[in-house]
Amino acid sequence: MIRPILATLVAVFLCATAAAAQTAPAAEPAAESGLQSILQEHHDLVERASRQTVQTVLDALIDSEDEAVPAFLERWQARELYMRNADGLFVYVQNDRADPLVLLDIETGAELGTAGSRDLTALRPNRGVQTVIGAALVQFQLLADDPATRATALQAIERAPEPGQLHMIGRMLDEETDPALRDQAEWLLTRMTIAFAEDEAQRVAAIESLAGDVRVQARAALNPLLLTDRRVAEALPRDANIARVLEPGSAALPRADAYAMLVAAGLAPQEVTAQMRRDALIANITNGTVAGIQVHQLGTEAARARAYAALAAAGAVPPAPTEAEQTAALAAHVFYDEYREPSTAVTAAAAETVAAINTHVGLLEAIDLSLDGISLASIYFLAAIGLAITFGVMGVINMAHGEFIMMGAYTGYVVQLFIPDYTVSILVALPLAFAVTFGAGVAMERLVIRWLYSRPLETLLATFGISIALQQIVRQVFGAQARPFTAPDWLSGSLVFNDVVAISYIRIAIFGLGVLFFVLLWLILNKTRLGLEVRAVTQNPSMASSMGINPDRINMLTFGLGSGIAGIAGVAIGLFAQVTPELGTHYIVQSFMTVVVGGVGNIFGTLAGATLIGFLQKGIEWLNPSNTLAAQTYMILFVILFIQFRPRGIVALKGRAAGA
Amino acid sequence: MIALFRQNRSVPVMLAVLVIFAAFVTLLSEGAGTGALSTSLVKTLGMTTCLAIVALAMDMVWGYAGILSLGHMAFFALGGYMIGMWLMVARTEGVIAASLAQAPLPPTPQELTDAVAVQIFGVVGGNSFPWMWAFSHSLIAQLLLVVLVPGLLALVFGWLAFRSRVTGVYLSILTQAMTLALSLYLFQNDTGLRGNNGLSGLQNIPGAESVPQSLMSVWFLWASVAALALAYVFAAWVMAGKFGNVTRGIRDDEARVRFLGYPVEGYKLFVFTGTAIMAGIAGALYYPQAGIINPDEMAPIASIYLAVWVAIGGRGRLYGAVIGAVVVSLLSTWFTGGRAPDINLGFYTIQWVDWWTVLLGLGFVLVTLFAPKGLGGLIDLLARRTPQ
Repeated sequence: MIRPILATLVAVFLCATAAAAQTAPAAEPAAESGLQSILQEHHDLVERASRQTVQTVLDALIDSEDEAVPAFLERWQARELYMRNADGLFVYVQNDRADPLVLLDIETGAELGTAGSRDLTALRPNRGVQTVIGAALVQFQLLADDPATRATALQAIERAPEPGQLHMIGRMLDEETDPALRDQAEWLLTRMTIAFAEDEAQRVAAIESLAGDVRVQARAALNPLLLTDRRVAEALPRDANIARVLEPGSAALPRADAYAMLVAAGLAPQEVTAQMRRDALIANITNGTVAGIQVHQLGTEAARARAYAALAAAGAVPPAPTEAEQTAALAAHVFYDEYREPSTAVTAAAAETVAAINTHVGLLEAIDLSLDGISLASIYFLAAIGLAITFGVMGVINMAHGEFIMMGAYTGYVVQLFIPDYTVSILVALPLAFAVTFGAGVAMERLVIRWLYSRPLETLLATFGISIALQQIVRQVFGAQARPFTAPDWLSGSLVFNDVVAISYIRIAIFGLGVLFFVLLWLILNKTRLGLEVRAVTQNPSMASSMGINPDRINMLTFGLGSGIAGIAGVAIGLFAQVTPELGTHYIVQSFMTVVVGGVGNIFGTLAGATLIGFLQKGIEWLNPSNTLAAQTYMILFVILFIQFRPRGIVALKGRAAGA
Repeated sequence: MIALFRQNRSVPVMLAVLVIFAAFVTLLSEGAGTGALSTSLVKTLGMTTCLAIVALAMDMVWGYAGILSLGHMAFFALGGYMIGMWLMVARTEGVIAASLAQAPLPPTPQELTDAVAVQIFGVVGGNSFPWMWAFSHSLIAQLLLVVLVPGLLALVFGWLAFRSRVTGVYLSILTQAMTLALSLYLFQNDTGLRGNNGLSGLQNIPGAESVPQSLMSVWFLWASVAALALAYVFAAWVMAGKFGNVTRGIRDDEARVRFLGYPVEGYKLFVFTGTAIMAGIAGALYYPQAGIINPDEMAPIASIYLAVWVAIGGRGRLYGAVIGAVVVSLLSTWFTGGRAPDINLGFYTIQWVDWWTVLLGLGFVLVTLFAPKGLGGLIDLLARRTPQ
């Protein structure tokens, strides 16, 4: 009787010593504190963490506001957490390659003794769990001391915002001092409040705070609120947030689409289209007849309808719903767009704010459009001002004007072959282009034009001949393909005011050039001896001649001046357009129209003409942005009509000069 | 008629030349003669004859009325488009009907129309006929449109322009703008005339599939020659009478004619519209021979070339226009066809395919400067006659 009792005692003792031997060399873990106890509470969830369940543990940890939590989460995510098999205690190890492993307390970091690798289980959270832990970590990173960490955390939230992160950003904002990060966080807060906040008033306030924000992101944040689903029902549901009710057969919901919705919803029988009917008839041909009707008679819709009805009556095909049945089915149902967002207040506020933003954007677009118009006008002005001198002042139709522009652009290209520095090469190209085309103009005037002053219409033919000859010669010399003429770096890029209004530097430069030449020409024509003589010769060559002015010389210089400016325009145009032999032909008709619309013989007229045509073309393009060809067509039509009402152009000369 | 022949000796000469020319070409053609002239050459000659008609129209409007129109090639191309619409629809209909005849069910009219539309407009992403094709299935209607469309456009445009006294250079630029607008409009894919694809396959005449192209080209040559003869007689007749006198008066001093009490605008409008119709008819004859028409054909430059032909031929002489058009366009064909011998300068070989344009351009300059009366002036010199 005593022996079994003794044996039991011995066994118990042995067990106890064994247990004592295991823990003997180390101190007991620090008093069962917050972190460890919370983990032990959810022991199974930690040990076998899964994406679906781990949130419970994380919530508990975060709620505890224990200071060791962030570090713990990081190490857990990095798969550095171990569990002692004997008692389920969660520990870190000092060095995972050492043997035996040195255990560390997860809160204090104190050594808890050693253990063999068999006595521990490494907890290896899978990718899904790591992601969840990472999301939980974000809130601690948001409050980190290092601004870079905070920025990374903000970006992480921005990429994939979650409702739970809303309060974290709020907490971050309470302490954030970096202005850039603060801006970013505030924007994120607004965006996430709109998307996730539970309090409707808060969302509405956030939405309304975006009024007047023209950034693309602002609209991107609001537009999801206004997404709708098109639905059909027998009656309007009471609790749905309905955007609008649609009438079948209206532009927004064509009748066929409406009926297709009914069919898709199973509320009406499938209609039979002409194609389906045809296929059905073909499938039911027997011995050259369909339902008793000869196949060759089925060449009309009416005959096919009869044959189909006969087939339907025989039960071979489903009956086609009649027009009246379709109408009745449409009338019996109501079609509506329903917001995905259930809250009426939110969608109303969003719609209102989007409308306000769109008004604002519309205004800015008008400004942007005006800038575009101004830059196009300056291009036309530059291209046409030389023509205004030769055509307007001298009455010579120079069809080769476009080729002078082209020669200017090629001068720029050639200069860049020799001077690789883009800035210097342009500064050289401008006067050189002027010189080249001035020379060409003077040569042309001396050799051809001056014999034709009494036959102005024929200058058109002669100069047209020169134009096609010049084009072909340039094609022979430089080839037909476009040549590179590159703007310097400081001219690339745009002056950006906001997401809507921007203008490229090159266009600003062309505008500047246009203004410069306007002023220069005005000074030459009105304040110099040469200008006085030019005006005198224009008005009355023989009288001018009798006053001691040499009209030949004046005509030559005037023509050279007009041609030289075309060369400078060519350099400017070549910077953004393709430098090809056909470059000039794209501008010649527009240039003539600019001069004619503006009024001949007056640089103010050219300015007015260029402004009108530039703005008009941009305006029409804005109305129909996909189609620049149409814009040009309508613009020319407008010009033709405009000439009807002001045949002498906007700025018409009066008195005797007009008849010259 | 006899009186006209007496008054204007060039009329019987021209008629005789045309008859001899047509007979000559016929006898040498592949389709009806010895085959010395290839079919493509016969077509070129027929097309050149049509160009002479439009040059004649240009001479009337410019050489006689003093209006340098840069829009007559647009009227020419419009005429081509109008006939091209019928040619294309009728031919496609034939092809589609033949292929649908194999289908198990005979096609309904609607199916046929839809298939034709997809065939024609698929290339520009369309599948139904645009409004402007409403009459395209009817030859009669399209023939009427050949006259009506250029005529009405010229009438409206001319009325607007002449009414507000746009003259001289301004009118030239305005007509050029009209031409540019029209070609830009047609270049768009969605305006209903197949954008820059244009209309093609026009050489296949529906209902005459069995006639070989070699014979068809001779028929068209005769038609073109007949049209030119008619146009020549008409032009000579109009310009010989009082109407012609007033018109020339307007050219020489518009204000004076107006003060004499003549309705200058009416005269100009009549000449402008009438010549536009002539151009349209010429185009309707030209493009079935060319086989393809696209908006490039009515680019402003084509109309400038037309003016240049007339200038080189000699303005104010009807035969001058014909000579200018024939000489310049045949020379151009010869040079650009690669048949002209290249000139080897040792250091550089002048290839006429490229340098022809330069020669042509300089030719304009020289003719304008030194021979303002053109090639026709030479004939006057030989005939020891002063132009009327």
